[in-house]
Amino acid sequence: MKRVAIALALVVVGFALQAITYLFLATPIGKPTSVRFSNPRVPFAPALFILGVMLVFIAAIVYELLPERGDEGSTRGDEPRA
Amino acid sequence: MARYGMVIDLDRCTGCRGCMVSCKIENNTPQGSYWMYVFRFEEGEYPATKVRFMPRPCQHCDNAPCVKVCPVGARYKREDGLVATDWQRCIGCRYCEVACPYGVNTFNWGHPEEHYYFDWNAEDVAPEVRGTIPAWDNPSLDEPYGPEQRHIAGGGHLKGVVDKCTFCVQRVEEGLDPACVQNCPVRALIFGDLDDPESEPAKILERRPSFRLLEEAGTEPRVHYVGGAPPTSETRQIEPAKAEV
Amino acid sequence: MAQQVQPLPYGVGHTSRAWIAWVAALAAVAIAGWYGWSVEISRGMIVTGLRDIGPMGGATWGLDVAFIVYWVGVSFAGITIAALIRLASLHALKPIARMAEALTVVALLAATFAIMYDLGQPLRGVVNLFRYARPQSPFFGTFTLVISGYLFASLVYLYLDGRADAAALARMPSRLRWFHRLWAAGYRGTPAERARHDRTAFWLAIAIVPLLVTAHSTLGFVFGLQVGRPGWYSALQAPAFVLLAGVSGLGALIVIAVIVRRTVPDAEIPDAAFRWLGTALLVLLLAYLYFMVVEILTNIYTGAARERDVTRELLFGDFAPIYWASVASFAISVGLLILRIVRRGVGLGLLVTAGILVNLGAIGKRFLIVVPSQTHGTLLPYGTGSYAPTWVEYIEAIGLFAFCAFLLIVFAKVFPIVPLNRAPRGGEAA
Repeated sequence: MKRVAIALALVVVGFALQAITYLFLATPIGKPTSVRFSNPRVPFAPALFILGVMLVFIAAIVYELLPERGDEGSTRGDEPRA
Repeated sequence: MARYGMVIDLDRCTGCRGCMVSCKIENNTPQGSYWMYVFRFEEGEYPATKVRFMPRPCQHCDNAPCVKVCPVGARYKREDGLVATDWQRCIGCRYCEVACPYGVNTFNWGHPEEHYYFDWNAEDVAPEVRGTIPAWDNPSLDEPYGPEQRHIAGGGHLKGVVDKCTFCVQRVEEGLDPACVQNCPVRALIFGDLDDPESEPAKILERRPSFRLLEEAGTEPRVHYVGGAPPTSETRQIEPAKAEV
Repeated sequence: MAQQVQPLPYGVGHTSRAWIAWVAALAAVAIAGWYGWSVEISRGMIVTGLRDIGPMGGATWGLDVAFIVYWVGVSFAGITIAALIRLASLHALKPIARMAEALTVVALLAATFAIMYDLGQPLRGVVNLFRYARPQSPFFGTFTLVISGYLFASLVYLYLDGRADAAALARMPSRLRWFHRLWAAGYRGTPAERARHDRTAFWLAIAIVPLLVTAHSTLGFVFGLQVGRPGWYSALQAPAFVLLAGVSGLGALIVIAVIVRRTVPDAEIPDAAFRWLGTALLVLLLAYLYFMVVEILTNIYTGAARERDVTRELLFGDFAPIYWASVASFAISVGLLILRIVRRGVGLGLLVTAGILVNLGAIGKRFLIVVPSQTHGTLLPYGTGSYAPTWVEYIEAIGLFAFCAFLLIVFAKVFPIVPLNRAPRGGEAA
């Protein structure tokens, strides 16, 4: 299903983005022996990390809000009221 | 490359606090903030009491906790061993201050004054200083500095950022000693390249037993003490540390 | 249809005089708090009671940081409850799910403000954290996971969980219809949509629980990893943060739930929900008290000299009044919660008292985690320091409470703070 595929892709990309930024793009982790440990390897890497966190949760919105293509049970607006 | 460090001879220190004064003049630090601080200790019970002195600059640790915790990398380690603060990047969270076991960081709580101690351009002062540029007025400190091309504290004491001892980087880069070392009347402070076995501090460390402060914290300070002993839990400071700001 | 006269459920869209008075009062207090911040920004943090550690004999982190930790802690309850309802099928708690989620969101906003209050250069903080943040700094987790990730996750959860209700409200004419329509985003309540929502809610809950433990732990690590601060350096710091977060969060949630039950028209929060909250609070509170005993024993039995100094200061010294007041408020709460169980009633009065007391205790404990290790825990013999907050810090802190309450009561008027009752359907009957 397309919906599941897109949501899953977002989750995977989100986690991958987090892992890649944390390990390879942000400031290296270690005994701070030079200025290398105080500068991110790629500017705004932390913003990418946050984007990764957000993508994982955006997946949920996409999964629910993606318009239907008529392939699923459709038009019965049967929400009972209080 | 030179890797600087300091040796402090506690047998020589008389507790005159001349280093604190010269630091303040050189770096124009606000009231109550001491980049260099001299402890005056008391030990033992009357009548067997003893007074001791211990200067405490920034320890310029090789494994500096302040560098580790800085959330934005404003605190950084230079290749030459100095730990420096990029006051253009600092966000003023003061995490370095709580992480430092030595209490060397100072925060700029209010707006800076142009000169806290004396006006270098005043009529009676100008001839004496003969055009020397003080650190706080040093234009090169307002620019990215040194091989790291990062700002370094020592300049304007911008409100809301952290400062600390720079080992007077602006003097060291010119081949001079830091102000505190230069002004010590008894040569209790010795500055130099610890990697060079021919340097004066390296020779002293070769000859005499030494210790570093709070080595158990794993910070690997670049300031070594010879003569005397580290403070213990029995050590009391004579004056209660308290400064009005 | 005669829907023109039918009011929206749970008082949504209906503003009474009392409500307007409350909104005005809370807004005024919140604005007073921001005035305090503006003073701090224009004159520098010299207007606070904070000073440098060491020669200046002060504490450089104070009330602001205590409240960062406190507000992040309060945010714990909401999303946890929401996740637990899904994962453990706690249907009795369903009516409080919405207010719990809302509490998480507002508490995290308050925490964000508290962080800004604490920064010497707040504007730089906004830019530089995104630009330069270092994973090695324990703050990394605080702002990426707690403030950004956790807040975003809570908003997503609140939004998706509210869609069905929004769709229901959008079908009723009102001035807020556009808002409900926007929220509903085309939700029609088809079986497929419901099934999808159940699925996402389940997976969100699964994703949120580890995020929650990590996020609260990172805040504990901010303190627990500092070898240079006696009293902070402890492996217990992170789990204790998670626990106390649960205590203060559940306490706040109980208070809000009782207020909703008393003031929101037709709001039916079953007694079972309160019983569950009370018991959960009791369990967490007992666990936290156990942690406190372990911590104190570790620090005074052999502890290094400075650890002992800090602990002595807590138990008998300058901080003893706050310490014992916190302990007393926890102990009394334990008593009240047990009494409620023994009596077998709902005991709303007991619950609210306990909820308020544990929050006061939690604030006290947060303060005690932050301050004494700085004023009395210098490893070099600087002598003891002192810290007393100024009016700026107090007004900022009080302003945040007003800000949260303001957001919550406004939210309750634009959206049902209690999920709408729905006809029971397969497998999900309440």
